[in-house]
Amino acid sequence: MAELSEFSFRPGRSALHRLDARFKLVFLMLLSLRILHAGFSGLGLFTSLLLLSLLHLRLSFFSLIKEMRYFLFLLFFVFLARAAFMPGEPLFHWWEFSLSREGSFEGLLICWRLVTVVLLGLCFVCTTRSSEIRGAAEWLLRPIPLIPEKRAGIMLSLLIRFIPLILTQAKETAEAQRARGIELRKNPLYRLKKFAIPFLRRMFADADRLIVAMDARSYSENRTPPEFCAGKQDWIALAAVTMLCVLSFFL
Amino acid sequence: MEILKTENLRHRFSDGTFGIDGISLSVQKGEFVIIAGANGCGKTTFLRHLNGLLMPYEGSVTVDGISVAKNPRRARQKVGMVFQDADSQIVGETVYEDVAFGPENLCLERSEVRQRVDTALQSVGLDKFADRRPHLLSGGEKRRVAIAGILAMQSEIFIFDEPFSNLDYPGVRQVLQQILMLHQKGHTILLTTHDLEKVLSHASRLIIMQKGKIVRDGAPETAVKGCDVFGVREPFASRQGLKLTSWLN
Repeated sequence: MAELSEFSFRPGRSALHRLDARFKLVFLMLLSLRILHAGFSGLGLFTSLLLLSLLHLRLSFFSLIKEMRYFLFLLFFVFLARAAFMPGEPLFHWWEFSLSREGSFEGLLICWRLVTVVLLGLCFVCTTRSSEIRGAAEWLLRPIPLIPEKRAGIMLSLLIRFIPLILTQAKETAEAQRARGIELRKNPLYRLKKFAIPFLRRMFADADRLIVAMDARSYSENRTPPEFCAGKQDWIALAAVTMLCVLSFFL
Repeated sequence: MEILKTENLRHRFSDGTFGIDGISLSVQKGEFVIIAGANGCGKTTFLRHLNGLLMPYEGSVTVDGISVAKNPRRARQKVGMVFQDADSQIVGETVYEDVAFGPENLCLERSEVRQRVDTALQSVGLDKFADRRPHLLSGGEKRRVAIAGILAMQSEIFIFDEPFSNLDYPGVRQVLQQILMLHQKGHTILLTTHDLEKVLSHASRLIIMQKGKIVRDGAPETAVKGCDVFGVREPFASRQGLKLTSWLN
């Protein structure tokens, strides 16, 4: 049985669940762009609202942090790189290394922005079915020439749908390697090679099986389109998001 | 009435070997056919020709009188397939979405899709699971989701590729009950297995394959005798000269 992952759709009837997926996708783009340019006060506002949304969706913060641990680890290095290489007033000094005050603030700001965008994406993925995401992506891409919107939509929905499975398979492969003493080998390249080859082989074999299963069920790009219905609440939400974005300019 | 027919069917792999070597077979509407054989004997390769997932190197496959090669889309709608690995064939984020995948591919109206999915989920007893995530279901439930997906496409022929693999005893019973329910409703069933014990007593015909050829074809009670030589274990009851019994009893 697969494990529960926070980064997948959770059935529910919350206000976020009830919003039209096309609006949610537009909100995701607008807010992400704004968050990536926001300062500390703006980020404080966005983060508070997102944390309230996550509480409303009853997501477990502990498992969320657990699942994001590698990402947080990466962010730690982003912070260190900024703090160490940006010139400015020294905040901390040890031997040849020093962290500047300006660099630390800058690093913290970048990391905070990235975490906020990930939390925003999480809210979107948790409250939107992959078929709705596919339909919304198709709708958004339709006016853009040279992009096969239906193919792009199904690729996006399959990617989102298979992320939990990919994570489960990576965990199983790592456990199988540990069971055979891979931790005794200290060379990280050797360990990476021994992990990547069976993992990728399994992923490609699964992708092959999925294609056959989709073919067996008459898959084609011409399918029944998803049903969208924009209501009053979607327009109210659009107005609120626009106001939030405008407000964040002044914070 | 003949619903499925293959004539001198051959399939050649890229290395030049033949996965299927001259299979001629006729299946009547409403039959329950078990195809048994050791691993690598060509069972799955044969099944994939029946709905056009593989095309013949030589010979032909017809479903309800129409060539699969000429109209594979129709064949896939008529011949539904439940795969061995349930996880890799689940496409939807929820049970409802997964069952709706087939009808949506047939470009049906949204109301028709909804009605078919509801009926299919009720038929397999999963109507309360519509909003559940398929990957968190048990093995037996996942296979019932796959069956519902085919029911929603209103297929006439059901193909099961090793439906009992990796299932515990309750899972085997759940899936077996569903298969028998489909057969009672008049669907034609083709099922591959190398473990005859679980299902043979319900079948109307047994086919044994070896090296891409049919080596036995007949009534289960007679065709099963001495099948060990083909890499398929003869059920205990048959060895003892007893009547074959069901796993549901």
